[in-house]
Amino acid sequence: MTSPGAPVVRLVELTKRYGRLTALDRFTLDIHEGEIVGLLGPNGAGKTTTLRTLLGLLKPSGGSAEIFGLDAWQQPVEAHRHLAFIPGEFAVWPQLSGGQILDLLGTVAGGYDKGYRDELVERFNFDPSKRGRSYSKGNRQKIAVIAALMTRAPLLVMDEPSSGLDPLMTAEFQECLREARAEGQTIFLSSHILSEVEAVCDRVAVLREGVCVEQGTLAELRHLHANTVEATYTGDPPDLDGVPGVEDAYVADGVIRLHVSGSPDALLKALAQASITGIQMREPSLEELFHAFYDDSADAA
Amino acid sequence: MTATTPSSPRTRRRPAAAAAEPRSPARVWWRAYRHHLRLVRNAAIAWITALTAISAGVVATFDDRYATEAERQALTAMEGIPAFEALVGRYVQVATVEGLTLSRWGMFGILVAVWAMLSAVKLLRGAEEVGHVEALRAGLLTPWGLLASVLAALGTVYVLFAVAIGATHSALGMDAATSWALGGAVALLAATFAAAGALASQVAGARRQAVGIVGAFLGLTLGVRLMAAATGTAEWLWWATPFGWIGYLHEVDEARGAVFGSFAVLVIALVVAALMLARRELHAGLVGDGAEIATRPRSVRSQGGLAARLTAASAATWGIVLAVVGLAFGLLARDFSEAVADMPTMVQFAAEIGWIGIDTPEGVVAFVFVLVTLLLAALAAALVVGMREEEATWRIEHLLVRPVGRLRWLTSRVGLAAVALALLAAMTGVVAWLGTVIVGTPISFTDGLRAGLNAVPLAWLFLGLGVAVLGLAPRLTAPLTYGIVVAAFLLDFVGGFVDLPEAIIDLSPFRQLAAVPAADVDLGAALAMLAVGLAGAVIGVLAFCRRDLKEA
Ligand SMILES: Nc1ncnc2c1ncn2[C@@H]1O[C@H](COP(=O)(O)OP(=O)(O)O)[C@@H](O)[C@H]1O
Ligand SMILES: [Mg+2]
Repeated sequence: MTSPGAPVVRLVELTKRYGRLTALDRFTLDIHEGEIVGLLGPNGAGKTTTLRTLLGLLKPSGGSAEIFGLDAWQQPVEAHRHLAFIPGEFAVWPQLSGGQILDLLGTVAGGYDKGYRDELVERFNFDPSKRGRSYSKGNRQKIAVIAALMTRAPLLVMDEPSSGLDPLMTAEFQECLREARAEGQTIFLSSHILSEVEAVCDRVAVLREGVCVEQGTLAELRHLHANTVEATYTGDPPDLDGVPGVEDAYVADGVIRLHVSGSPDALLKALAQASITGIQMREPSLEELFHAFYDDSADAA
Repeated sequence: MTATTPSSPRTRRRPAAAAAEPRSPARVWWRAYRHHLRLVRNAAIAWITALTAISAGVVATFDDRYATEAERQALTAMEGIPAFEALVGRYVQVATVEGLTLSRWGMFGILVAVWAMLSAVKLLRGAEEVGHVEALRAGLLTPWGLLASVLAALGTVYVLFAVAIGATHSALGMDAATSWALGGAVALLAATFAAAGALASQVAGARRQAVGIVGAFLGLTLGVRLMAAATGTAEWLWWATPFGWIGYLHEVDEARGAVFGSFAVLVIALVVAALMLARRELHAGLVGDGAEIATRPRSVRSQGGLAARLTAASAATWGIVLAVVGLAFGLLARDFSEAVADMPTMVQFAAEIGWIGIDTPEGVVAFVFVLVTLLLAALAAALVVGMREEEATWRIEHLLVRPVGRLRWLTSRVGLAAVALALLAAMTGVVAWLGTVIVGTPISFTDGLRAGLNAVPLAWLFLGLGVAVLGLAPRLTAPLTYGIVVAAFLLDFVGGFVDLPEAIIDLSPFRQLAAVPAADVDLGAALAMLAVGLAGAVIGVLAFCRRDLKEA
């Protein structure tokens, strides 16, 4: 049985090696009831490995993973009574209809809320009457999302859940997550998109090449939130030395390229000294951010 | 603050990779062709090696096995017996190495046809079902181009097949022209059934439907050959089926031009028909796309229910094949035994190698049930491969992340597979009995049932060995599991020809089969097979519960 008071998820020095490759290196993390925790990392960082080990699909090479105090590898069946999982990619049984798959997975999970299932089918605009093989990737992902949410499990684990969903459905999905949070469900989700994690998570663990490089609340990871600015100018270049929040600045030949974290106010004032002919601001990809923040520290070390 | 140069290699890597995506139709097509070639490669190597080796074995051992005039006379005695030709195809000039080898392909050709049609359907319909084609077509590939790439990939394989046969057989001393004619005709037979499979895939909405259609085509072409043999007089009937053409490669027939011409016309016709029907829409088929299903589909409400449904789906197709084979053997048992009864030396020779009483219907049923046993062993392998497919596609995850344990998942699948094998074995025996009743020389019902059930320990043995492979070397499940079956069969079938030591041939479980119903079940051998099978299953299940799940 679950031990009361134990964290919902506990990873202790969790390590996973595939042959000589260490995909996950001594990852330690506690998730408490009602929290929404994001696992952030670029492709190949070890997110899927973490979640598959947590779900008992992979055997840990070291350390341990627990769900409600139950060991993920030793007691998977008991542990899985209290969780639902959304994989990043959902393979269907080609001969079963979407409705049959939902029904099967709900029953195997130990029961589900039929009313809520119908509501989700409606909200995600999903047609459950087709055969599995005829669903597109987005529709397959909807099966995964509905099957997991409809059980109202106390713990929701998700591996890049919105991959394959279009923007409208992604918004609907985030709405569902907010509802789940209101119901007190605990959520552990992985993503390689910072803004997605920001939209729903209280706390974030950042994985890079199998190593957890940061952990904290969103506010604590504020510095990660930078924007990439690309601008063109004529005449004399602006002086950007010492402008707060600016990193990685490149200024030459009429082109400016830099990252800015926090408020862009000081940067804009500094740019105003020059004659700017064009300016563009966008959220950088996680890879770019990681180059900006962690490579420097790695070089220094 | 650090300044990076804009041309840092890190930032350049992505756009460079994107540019590497082929954008011209020719390159997309080439990529699709190579993709399909890769998909069929392993199976092709196995089939080509096995079939070429068996046939080459006939060539290599001919002089030793039929050294004396009397032995060649005994072979010739089998020529022109309708019931025999109905089973093995046209049987002429068999006292020569060329004639005997060509005549053997009446049987081997059926294997070629089954392989070719399944691989074509798998590439065309199966790929759609798992979504590969969507990825392909997201590029610049048309349905026409896709089909052409599949056919080109299969064609490449068959050219290699022809070369393998031609080169080995002529190297082993068979007449070169005949060797290469055989290679070419076998490749064309494969192409015929691959093209038929491609056509069926365009017509059908789903893979199972396509297999059904092309299976019916196979049944029809074999049925015509059976009729041709049975009537014995109507030569045009032999020419009405590709399996007849294979029988007219003999030098005496002087019909090679007609054989190749017929094959060429049929292959081209089938390919053109398939290309004309190649559709724009995915998943659509002339006979309904099968995407919509009944408004009240039978629900699947448990892991066990799902396991039963998946097992039944595989077993059903094989069940039809087994029923047809069992019935055909029952129907032919009388003619065969009567024809053989006129050849006492043959009866005696068969008895010496364990096939007693083949001049009686019981003896014939026992003899031909070796093939039924092979089919059941192959089904055992197919069922294990089906289990592995759930893991390889990662569908197993849906169950294992819910409260379903690995032990329960695998034991229920293996248990159901064992039940399905036993039921089909019994069914085949009963159907063979029915066949003997229809032609008026019945064996007893219990004899039929015993003939079927005699295959069960062997089928379970291969099931257990397959589970061991699944547990210990999951990524090798398909090649190793089928490989063990084929190796064991060949050891028994070819081992005697190439003078392997008895002790080694005896390792083949097929060698240990008793000639039931003519003889009694060999309890010792049956128990040994059950014990080894059980051990394999236990090892496999334990290993499966202790290892990582592995994707394809
Ligand atoms: N089954 C496997 N065998 C070997 N290497 C693997 C396997 N699965 C993942 N990896 C490797 O482990 C690393 C982490 O992968 P993964 O957990 O899938 O990352 P993410 O989900 O963050 O993209 C990658 O380098 C990947 O190539
Ligand atoms: Mg991943």
